[in-house]
Amino acid sequence: MVQVATALLRASLTLAMQYRSDFLIDMLTGVLRTLAAVAPIALVFSQRETILGWTAPEVTLVAGLYFLMQAALAGLVEPNLGEIVEAVRSGSLDFVLLKPADAQVLVSMRRVDPAHLWDLLAAVLLLGWSISAMEPPSLADVGAAAVLLCSGLAAMYGIWLLAICTSFYFVRVDNLRFLLWSITDAGRWPLQVFARWIQLVLVVVIPVAVITTFPALALRGTWSPSLLATGVAVGIAFLVGSRWAWRASLAFYTSASS
Amino acid sequence: MTAIARALPDLFRVGFAGIVAYRAEMTIWILTATLPLIMLALWNAVAAEGPVAGFDQVEIARYFAATLLVRQLTSVWLVWEMNYEIRSGRLSQKLLKPMHPLIQYAVEMIVSVPFRSVILTPLLAALLLWRPELWKTPAPTAVALFVVSLALAWSINFLVQAVFASFSFWVDKTDGLFGVWFAAWSLLSGYIAPLDTFPDWARQILVLLPFHGMLGLPVEILGSFIAPGDALPQVGLQVFWVVVLATVLAVLWRAGIRRYGAFGA
Amino acid sequence: MIEARALRKVFRVPEKDPGLVGSLRSIVRRRTRDVVAVDGIDLTVAAGERIGFLGPNGAGKTTTLKMLTGLLHPTAGSCQVAGYRPQDRAPDFLRAVTLVMGQKQQLMWDLPATETFLLNRALFDLDRAEWTRTVEELVALLELGPFLNRPVRTLSLGERMRCELAAALLHRPRVLFLDEPTIGLDVEIQATVRRFVRAWNEKHGATVVLTSHDMNDVTALADRIVIIDLGVLRFDGSINELQLRFGTGRRIVVRGDGQALAGLEFTPDGSGGWQRTVLASAVNPVLQEVLRRLPSADVTVADPPLEEVLTRAFGEARQQRSAG
Repeated sequence: MVQVATALLRASLTLAMQYRSDFLIDMLTGVLRTLAAVAPIALVFSQRETILGWTAPEVTLVAGLYFLMQAALAGLVEPNLGEIVEAVRSGSLDFVLLKPADAQVLVSMRRVDPAHLWDLLAAVLLLGWSISAMEPPSLADVGAAAVLLCSGLAAMYGIWLLAICTSFYFVRVDNLRFLLWSITDAGRWPLQVFARWIQLVLVVVIPVAVITTFPALALRGTWSPSLLATGVAVGIAFLVGSRWAWRASLAFYTSASS
Repeated sequence: MTAIARALPDLFRVGFAGIVAYRAEMTIWILTATLPLIMLALWNAVAAEGPVAGFDQVEIARYFAATLLVRQLTSVWLVWEMNYEIRSGRLSQKLLKPMHPLIQYAVEMIVSVPFRSVILTPLLAALLLWRPELWKTPAPTAVALFVVSLALAWSINFLVQAVFASFSFWVDKTDGLFGVWFAAWSLLSGYIAPLDTFPDWARQILVLLPFHGMLGLPVEILGSFIAPGDALPQVGLQVFWVVVLATVLAVLWRAGIRRYGAFGA
Repeated sequence: MIEARALRKVFRVPEKDPGLVGSLRSIVRRRTRDVVAVDGIDLTVAAGERIGFLGPNGAGKTTTLKMLTGLLHPTAGSCQVAGYRPQDRAPDFLRAVTLVMGQKQQLMWDLPATETFLLNRALFDLDRAEWTRTVEELVALLELGPFLNRPVRTLSLGERMRCELAAALLHRPRVLFLDEPTIGLDVEIQATVRRFVRAWNEKHGATVVLTSHDMNDVTALADRIVIIDLGVLRFDGSINELQLRFGTGRRIVVRGDGQALAGLEFTPDGSGGWQRTVLASAVNPVLQEVLRRLPSADVTVADPPLEEVLTRAFGEARQQRSAG
């Protein structure tokens, strides 16, 4: 498994470095995207000390978690799930299905987009700064945050997989993924900023808050067991639900194609 | 020139038919521009305790509602379309026609404006029904200036994207380069925060850059955040940027066409 | 109508060593390789001529066509088409030529072909009455009637190709460049396309430059054949001259009892008969022997298929190239 992963990573890196100008541009884009994410925080906090009780480091923490999620989703999950749409359209998914390994795993791991390594770097920097500028979290806080982070990642993977499954049925709307991205953009900011009904959507329907706000709440020390339970429940629900949807879509695909 | 004028009605008609054929995808694209709404929520929360840089809650909401509108009406997807056509060789089909490819592209992009207006109208109507105090009738001069400024903003956006797309004649991954520009634009044009929230020294520089003319200025005129008299010199700056960008584009295009490999077609 | 002198096109292609180390190295130092696609061509085509432009894959046919239509700038040499320099892309030049590429289409995918016709009318600034007449003529000749108002993506390849041809000729160009126009089409449609091109050329006097891999295209349409390989012209003349130069034998086909032909080196020809290619000088003796053994057999003597002749022409060219 590790060998497969290393080989895949090497192949993807080679592909990505094929054009040196691309490599440099990706780096520059990464830096600028980070600046563009941090600048509004600076602007907001030049006007206020706190926003709805959140301090600047705490808001930056949320932003850092967003970058982490973006690195994982855009760097690992999306390159592969995005290809499924094309594979469905062109019929090349059949080749994947013929392989002995689990199709979902193969499909999820095939490609890595190293351009988003910069997102990972940004995430580490932002998380590092914000945690150091906050009150140190307790061990329980860190534990809760870790659990919520994992749940959040699982939930986001799940919603992405669900979105991809729709392409088995409606091949033309692959730009639904972009709609998903633009809604997850709300995850850069603490959940409290939004109206109640939007907060609900961002936890239960498109669970970006579970991976950005929830762990931040934990590290901030303002979490509760019910929050933890909600996060875990959402994570499990999406993981299970998406797996089921994947199998159903696959069954639909194989029975529909000739 | 007159040949182009004669051709336009038919070009628009066919172009619009093409957009209608893609209405599902287009509608989703329009819906992806949620950022102004997210920013509205954010800045609204900031303004809860008191005005921010001179904007109270109603005004900040009006600002971002106007941003939503202007963003949609000035939006083009030229950089992806042209990049794709250069790399796939489909540009050859446009090159074989006796009308400059950039004009063909311009028509393709402009015809989306009526479509976007149709989709946006119910959205904005709903917004105004929910919060009628958002509306502030602009002065007639402001309306006229807004239309001019909007057209110029569209043009700057078009030209910028054309410049970036023409890098495809030399470099492979122009999406990345444009991503850099777009990140800068979202920050410096007034898209994610009104320029008034920036420190004074920064604001004075930013007004001079093309970004402001691509979004911020028409928004400020429409929302009555700037008097028409004060806005006029800035509209002149928009014209300046259009001229500069058009010149740069002309040079790039001529050099790029010589390098065009027509691969794939 | 078409004049090319020492036309040359060189492409610069990036090159790197395989593997991860090679990729890293290529970021620091970029290496390129020059690929000569067209290596000095001289060509003259008179108005109204129909020429077949042949060569193996990668020979430089399409590159030459793209230079003649102004899509590519030549690296060296010059060309003139209809009195214009193609790379200037003067509007009147573009109105005088058309390029039809077999697999790459100008038709808008989600709209009916009529919309593309309308678009082209606008783009070429065609007089409405004349355009209507041209459309009617094309619809009749290419039998487009039944599917003209359906979205192009719902059409079969043959229907699409015919609409594509129509769209390309709306402006009545004086020169037609056709790049593999019948590729992938079924036999009936291929015949329709060939008939159409011939009819159009005879009626309107348009010059036709056709590239193809299909011998039937060539025999049906080309009065003159130009062979290009490895970027250089190898042959320029009529089909007969081609046969004379590269065809070194004649093909005897016998329909009859194969057993009787034992020992005469005949092989099955795939359609129930027996064939053998012999040198022209040896035709008579072999023929006599065959008729002696099978007096009532059905025997034909023909030139070898064009395919064979061309393969020999290409092969000889490559041999010369590696020798010289």
